[in-house]
Amino acid sequence: MQTIVPQILTSLLYLVVFGIALGTRIKEIDGIPYLEYILPGIALMSLVTNSQMNSSWSVFDAKRERYIDEVLISPMSDLQIALAYSLGGTLRGVVMGTCVFLVGIPFVGVGVENPLLLIVIGVLASFAFSSIGTMVGALATRIEHISFLTSVVIQPLTFLGGVFYSVGMLPDVLRLATYFNPIFYTVDAARYATLGISDLNPYPTLGMVFLIAVLAFCGAWLAISRGPNLRY
Amino acid sequence: MSGVPALKIEKLTKTYSNGFLALDGVSLEVGAGKFVGLLGPNGAGKTTLINSVVSLARPDTGSVEVYGKDAFREFREARRMIGISPQEVNLDKFLTVREVLTFHAGYYGVPRKKAKEKAEEMLERFGLVEKRDQRTNTLSGGMKRRVMFARALMHDPDVLFLDEPTAGVDVELRYSLWGYVRELNRGGMTILLTTHYLEEAEALCDEIALIDGGRIVDRGTSADLKDRYEAGNVEEVYMKVIGAASHR
Repeated sequence: MQTIVPQILTSLLYLVVFGIALGTRIKEIDGIPYLEYILPGIALMSLVTNSQMNSSWSVFDAKRERYIDEVLISPMSDLQIALAYSLGGTLRGVVMGTCVFLVGIPFVGVGVENPLLLIVIGVLASFAFSSIGTMVGALATRIEHISFLTSVVIQPLTFLGGVFYSVGMLPDVLRLATYFNPIFYTVDAARYATLGISDLNPYPTLGMVFLIAVLAFCGAWLAISRGPNLRY
Repeated sequence: MSGVPALKIEKLTKTYSNGFLALDGVSLEVGAGKFVGLLGPNGAGKTTLINSVVSLARPDTGSVEVYGKDAFREFREARRMIGISPQEVNLDKFLTVREVLTFHAGYYGVPRKKAKEKAEEMLERFGLVEKRDQRTNTLSGGMKRRVMFARALMHDPDVLFLDEPTAGVDVELRYSLWGYVRELNRGGMTILLTTHYLEEAEALCDEIALIDGGRIVDRGTSADLKDRYEAGNVEEVYMKVIGAASHR
């Protein structure tokens, strides 16, 4: 409970502050009421943050206190170990994203256009960022490295990932920069699955999310087998 | 498996990234069902040797076989046969005692039902029944040792590595541990023990290997070693071999 409730409160704050305060000025984006427009992105923000935090801390703590040795000396391969940590974070991300989405619905009243696609995107996005968490947890040698990932990389990227606006509203330079933000693709794909609208063509976007997940997991695998202070 | 040694280590070398040569061509064969003591000063390479067998340390060169299985190429089979009670406490502080045991069994592919039964048996055996639902960070040092010992046995290993298992343990627990270890050994389990308690090694082990500076400097039964060095006990042997080496 103490993990889930504060997270949901934070997400509700986003809905209230951005949705209701800004929503009085931005009535609609692409014909969708602003609150509805931002809900999928806010759920995804929670999913992304939670999945990467869960796996990065799990790996880092296990490494710091050396109980990761128990896993490293077991008959599991490095691939299986990386997969286990990443799937643990994926589950946490999916649970949190779903909770935020469900709690948000009464405030917003949004329906889901394509539930299956939303599940696929949610799981893929969660897996991608959980894998990034696994990778960073395995590479980190100090606690600051983990907080760097959360507050200097993931947080800004979530805010700049098109959760609160359409990239069409941005000047050219910023729009171009957004295309290099992996979170943008997950937000855009989730929005398509929920509301049926998106900034980009949804299927290449889905491919992009898949590619990000594969690359991130390869990074996690490599980091678990080669990272510092694991096998020496 | 008759005739195949439980552990066959050949020409193992390991240099750490800071340039420290921890293993300098170690070769060691441990027969199936033997109880071998590995004695040597701090930094001699005992823990590195154990860690190299399970790839926690990555040796530079050399080979390791566990009951004929290559410890690096066939690591799944090899590691499944090994149980380790490490020198340093490494328990997941978020888990309860019972979870530590059942999770460990899971890492080794022990079916859930069997793991549960085995955990109960181990809790009983190590006097941990009352502590089973406590988180490991609330346990005393001696209790933590018991948990690590029980954990090492959860997957019924064929070879047990005990890396200074009685460091900081009270006399009563030491006696009960040794009683149990003897029993396991009689049941066919191969045991490799590192300890600083030389009289224990002498009493328990079929054979003793002395390691210093990353090399096995001598080995034999305690009677052989005492004869060879004209010593009254293993402690004297140790002082003659290791003491002499450290003064060279």
